[in-house]
Amino acid sequence: MPDEPQVVEPPEPKQLIAPGYTFGSVTDQIATVVLTGRTPVFWLACFSVGLALLFLFLYAVALLLAKGVGIWGIRVPVMWGFAITNFVWWIGIGHAGTLISAILLLLNQRWRNSINRFAEAMTLFAVACAGMFPLLHLGRPWLFYWLFPYPNTMNVQPQFRSPLVWDVFAVSTYATVSFLFWFVGLLPDLATLRDRTLNRFARFAYGILAMGWRGSARHWSIYETASLLLAGLATPLVLSVHTVVSFDFTIAIVPGWHSTFFPPYFVAGAIYSGFAMVLALAIPLRAVYGLQGLITDKHLDNSAKVMLATGLIVAYAYILETFTAWYSGNVYEGAAIWNRMTGPYAPAYWMLISCNIILPQALWFKSIRSRPVLLFIWSMIVLTGMWLERYVIIVSSLAQDFLTSSWSIFVPTRWDWATYFGTIGLFLFLFFAFIRLLPMISIFEVRTLLPQAKVEEEVQG
Amino acid sequence: MIKPIYGLMAEFDNPTSLVNAARAAREKGYRRLDAYSPFPIEELTDALHLHHNKLPLIVLCGGILGGLTGFLLQYYITVIDFPINIGGRPLDSWPAYIIITFELTILFGAISAVLGLLGLCGLPMPYHPTFNVPRFALASRNRFFLCIEARDPLFDHDQTSAFLETLEPREVSEVAN
Amino acid sequence: MTAQSRDFAASAELASDLRQWRTRALTAGVIGAVLLLVGIFLVSPFQLYESYLWSYVFYVGVTLGCLVWLMLQYLTGGAWGVVIRRPAEAAARTLPLLALLFLPIVVGIPNLYQWSHANLVANDPVMQHKQIYLNVPFFLIRAALYLGGWNFLAWYFNRWSAREDEGSPVAHRKMAALAGPGILFWGFSITFMAVDWVLSLNPRWFSTIFGMLFMAGQGLSGMAFLITLLVLLSYRRPMSEILTPRHLHDLGKLLLCMVMVWAYFTFSQFLIIWAGNLPDEITWYVARLHGGWRYIALALVLGHFALPFALLLSRDLKRNFKLLAGIAIFILCMRYVDVYWLVAPDFSRGRFAVSWMDFVAPVALGGIWLWAFVTQLEKRPLMPLGEPNLEEALQHGRE
Repeated sequence: MPDEPQVVEPPEPKQLIAPGYTFGSVTDQIATVVLTGRTPVFWLACFSVGLALLFLFLYAVALLLAKGVGIWGIRVPVMWGFAITNFVWWIGIGHAGTLISAILLLLNQRWRNSINRFAEAMTLFAVACAGMFPLLHLGRPWLFYWLFPYPNTMNVQPQFRSPLVWDVFAVSTYATVSFLFWFVGLLPDLATLRDRTLNRFARFAYGILAMGWRGSARHWSIYETASLLLAGLATPLVLSVHTVVSFDFTIAIVPGWHSTFFPPYFVAGAIYSGFAMVLALAIPLRAVYGLQGLITDKHLDNSAKVMLATGLIVAYAYILETFTAWYSGNVYEGAAIWNRMTGPYAPAYWMLISCNIILPQALWFKSIRSRPVLLFIWSMIVLTGMWLERYVIIVSSLAQDFLTSSWSIFVPTRWDWATYFGTIGLFLFLFFAFIRLLPMISIFEVRTLLPQAKVEEEVQG
Repeated sequence: MIKPIYGLMAEFDNPTSLVNAARAAREKGYRRLDAYSPFPIEELTDALHLHHNKLPLIVLCGGILGGLTGFLLQYYITVIDFPINIGGRPLDSWPAYIIITFELTILFGAISAVLGLLGLCGLPMPYHPTFNVPRFALASRNRFFLCIEARDPLFDHDQTSAFLETLEPREVSEVAN
Repeated sequence: MTAQSRDFAASAELASDLRQWRTRALTAGVIGAVLLLVGIFLVSPFQLYESYLWSYVFYVGVTLGCLVWLMLQYLTGGAWGVVIRRPAEAAARTLPLLALLFLPIVVGIPNLYQWSHANLVANDPVMQHKQIYLNVPFFLIRAALYLGGWNFLAWYFNRWSAREDEGSPVAHRKMAALAGPGILFWGFSITFMAVDWVLSLNPRWFSTIFGMLFMAGQGLSGMAFLITLLVLLSYRRPMSEILTPRHLHDLGKLLLCMVMVWAYFTFSQFLIIWAGNLPDEITWYVARLHGGWRYIALALVLGHFALPFALLLSRDLKRNFKLLAGIAIFILCMRYVDVYWLVAPDFSRGRFAVSWMDFVAPVALGGIWLWAFVTQLEKRPLMPLGEPNLEEALQHGRE
């Protein structure tokens, strides 16, 4: 469009969007990433890494199906090893996406508009990765449908007092609702791609997916209601999902697991690691695709603040856990925490304390929050810390339970690692495919951030 | 006799002009009109009097249905169909049912929200006359359109066209049916 | 209309209203206090301390709830934060009085807490284990620390707020800087306060979410109180010209949010303990879910969660001043009942017993507290004059 200025100035530190953008230029900048014929080397590199790790995953899964879960390091008494750790880690990462898209929408926080799309995609793919683990852990994954209640000739039914059955419902609901929310959010942008693409096949594909969206005011009005309603439903849902995950532990009466504050503590930890993942994805993406005008330093700063706040809740939880273990006067509770701190898993425990509590305190300082490279490193630290947290909770409590004679140390095998890194591959593969095929920033919501989107009332006269 | 058309469409540069145009058209008495914009405009909803829609009610019904399904399913299975003593818990362990009741409430609510959205909007819609206007592709980019449909009782090709011209649009075009 | 052209001081009608409220509150407080003193002889001193404890915990909750919303709005921004600033600041300024009102609990320690009796501790290994923490001097040191910390926060935010009114350019930054650490201190102090003052009534029971239950309860009490007050103020100038349905709508959303958080924490604790069914833990619920206490628990489920939740979902209701205030007052009443349900069964030893002093104590304490609150509220203009977002907040809901 020659009638529009193309100059985009670097954003002021506090702005959500750089000055100089127009409706046309934001549309083009975001849509070009998808519609261009050229693929950046960065994308190819990341996608290839993802694909390579995905093959590793497929190999590990094939071996698992052939030989059984014994190829992992799970032995009595530690029957929940890496698989459940990874499950909780991945599903926690997904939570930030829903938080950004739903809770911040309800709170009218407009800074979410340019990061919600890829954060929601992150949620979907993280849930997909998470879902792999309990499925594979079943031993006979092809019989997964036994988890659902249905009339059957065996005349057995799921046991509804078990948190593992709650998990089936919670995670499958979460996956469905996240997908619906993401797809509804995509609808207007799919219409934009349909109208902008020059490729006949792409126009057909985007046209089918856009379902004939034409931006009618009638539709927008219903659409806005639907977004708010979905956000209102997704908000309690996202809290419930990690709550149910925490019930997997708390409902069992294993010392170190059976603690009443696990639900909020798990939710906070989930958001903590989720925002770390949002930063870990946003920082390289905006650098490579030149999106600093849309994902501004303000976004990074806000995300870092959310990380700090949720990190402090997690810190509160560790302190309280230790205090209560002592205060309860319960021998087993005390021993479980003491073993964590000083036993065979002490290195992992103290590393997680450093990664989750001590190092993130640096985020109090604006000088750290305003440097993307440092933030990227910090988000990696938090992601590691949160993985270790789940690992320590799960493995240390199981390895040293009530019966001293059955104590045993968990040793991960190479297939544990292969499956774990394999899901990272699956995630990268899906995520970069998404970046290439769909707009990674919500175009229509970014348009509403522009100053010219505001209707000037004086003009009507 | 003029060939029957879908309506007349005026194109605007910015949301303010569109909202003013929509208000003017309503004042003039036009009722069968629609506005098209690349993003939701709250004022437009007011200008076209579009406030009430049935979606919240649909979602509420869906949610209640989901909750009932969840609770009754569990109650039926654990109390009637497959009663089994688990750790001495009562057969009707209602605290344990709350989770799945809640999840199914949300699931049914969300599905009804999406189906309701599509149903109320009449989507998917493979063909719509507005797409016959070549510049309408910009409605998903940076242009704002107001369409007065031929079904409107006040619609008259020349008068409506003249009226739309008074709104200072970039362009007024016919929408073929 | 701009901020400069307005007068935010209480109008003459409001000033006379406030004087009237203050007198009535003080009268109720004094009569209640006299009745309580009579109760020592008519019922028993034990009953006085018990009723006093849960009433005190409730009013500390309302006050600190206001304080924490005050701190939170410095972090989040938003028009809702600007309109609650002055009432919340005034509530925070009642903290010196609350520190003074802690004295009856200090006197009542032997009547309230089993761990303060050396002979009981000597026969109980669990209490011996906890003695390093649960002993009278350390209990008092901790209480002094909490009350001191809260008073410091109240003083800090009020001093800088006053300077902001005088035009200090750094004031807002100073307050925003302490808001984060202030909330952190609040979180920890409430947790240990809950352990000390309430949880330790039953020296064998523990629950890690207990502190969070109190945090949610305080947030809810504070918000319900602020909404009620704003609606009462909205009948007279200047607030009648300031408050819009949008402001109330935002506050109503926060109220709904807190109702849900409270229900979430409460249900989590219940489900985990119910499913675990361990003798150490379940006894706490056995005491609270049998006999007459069961009906109070049921009332909490319905009145503290289901009813306000269902009503607050409505957008129109959140924009209706009177109805919203009605719900807020109802929630405040349910907060009383909740605190009562947490505290009282530990004293009643399996029986369900409600004393008339349980009703008089909150009136006595509430009257005195409200008197102090209204006195403080009168001292400053009802809107923060130096607030940088004042103009925006006034325009909120008027576009």
